[in-house]
Amino acid sequence: MKLKKTALAQGFIRCHDCGCLSKQSNNNKLCPLCGGQLHPRLPNSFQRTAALLLSAFCLYIPANIFPIMTVTRLGVGEPHTIIGGIIALINGGMVPIALLVLVASILVPLLKLLGISLLLLNIHYRWQSHTRKWTIMYRIIAFVGRWSMLDIFMISILVSLVDMGGVAQVIAGPAATAFAAVVVLTMFAAKNFDPRLIWDNQH
Amino acid sequence: MVATAINIHLRNMNKIDFTACPECDLLLNLAAPEVGDKAHCPRCGYLMQRPRKQSIERTFALSLAGLILMFPANLMPLVGIKMLGNTKDGTLWSGVVALFEEHLWGVAILVFLSSILFPLLNIILSLLISAHLYFKKPNRHLAHWMRWLQHMDEWAMLEVYMLGIIVACVKLASTSELKFGFGLYAFVALLIVTGMLASSLDKVLFWRQIGQLRK
Repeated sequence: MKLKKTALAQGFIRCHDCGCLSKQSNNNKLCPLCGGQLHPRLPNSFQRTAALLLSAFCLYIPANIFPIMTVTRLGVGEPHTIIGGIIALINGGMVPIALLVLVASILVPLLKLLGISLLLLNIHYRWQSHTRKWTIMYRIIAFVGRWSMLDIFMISILVSLVDMGGVAQVIAGPAATAFAAVVVLTMFAAKNFDPRLIWDNQH
Repeated sequence: MVATAINIHLRNMNKIDFTACPECDLLLNLAAPEVGDKAHCPRCGYLMQRPRKQSIERTFALSLAGLILMFPANLMPLVGIKMLGNTKDGTLWSGVVALFEEHLWGVAILVFLSSILFPLLNIILSLLISAHLYFKKPNRHLAHWMRWLQHMDEWAMLEVYMLGIIVACVKLASTSELKFGFGLYAFVALLIVTGMLASSLDKVLFWRQIGQLRK
């Protein structure tokens, strides 16, 4: 009887924007309170999330292979990848900051990509157990996504501050664009994922 | 406090006294938690509502404060460095310009949106909505503003930017002399104000008030 309890099963649609419930019928496509489009579930949630996730996976490779920035000191250039930057921090004795960058720019994007993939598999194969835990995982993924922008902001600050011609200069590399795209794409993927689909599959 | 699940037949309902969990779509009785209480979905644990004391008044005041702080935080230097006799000041805007000059226009636009434009719009929209609700002035754009505010929420990343400043400073500390500008203090204050603003803005209450103003 669990299925009976969802609002959709009882003929109600919840507005995504204002949360107002309205009766499902053929003629009301707009929310009576805020005028937004009414959908029982996010439209094409699975397909959109999968497409965004796939693009993010592709861009994750150049984001890690190419240098994210090049530090030039007295004319000698030294390209850094994301991992190279972390190793440089550890060598400089700044382990806590290195850990922070490791979490924000390696672990979070990677776990997000894997996490969203697992959520999609969950929906596709209609896994029946630990529904609440999956929902909590979705919540964590949606919350932590923005913190990966840390690296991008740090580069933007370094690039503007360390700009002294031949003496010292920081130049952002091609991986910066790829990494920023990964962050944005995974954020959109999480936003397009509808956690109600996990609950809809339970019998 | 937990919102109670209902399991009755709703065939002939006209007025809807129910709500649904946005993350698991469980049909629930409308809960009216007191200030200081929280209403969670009993099935998935989603935080449905967390009423705040004087939500509208506080949002109004905080967004006004935030709007004022936006100016020094954006216009005055955040951090300056001194390296081998050269000095250089950095503002929010100079980071965007530097990225643009290196032809990373995609990253530059992203940084501009998430550190300047969206935080600003966030505060302006909060101010507009709370001012209209405070003075009980109906406006046909209120629902649009509220919707934009909700969609923009996660793209305003001032707190992440703060962390970026800290990491950048740690990286620079060994090779150059750092100087913290007045803009940084304004930026930290802005961060605190936007954090308080986000927690004082009770979305459920705001939508209910917007709905009442419409009638």
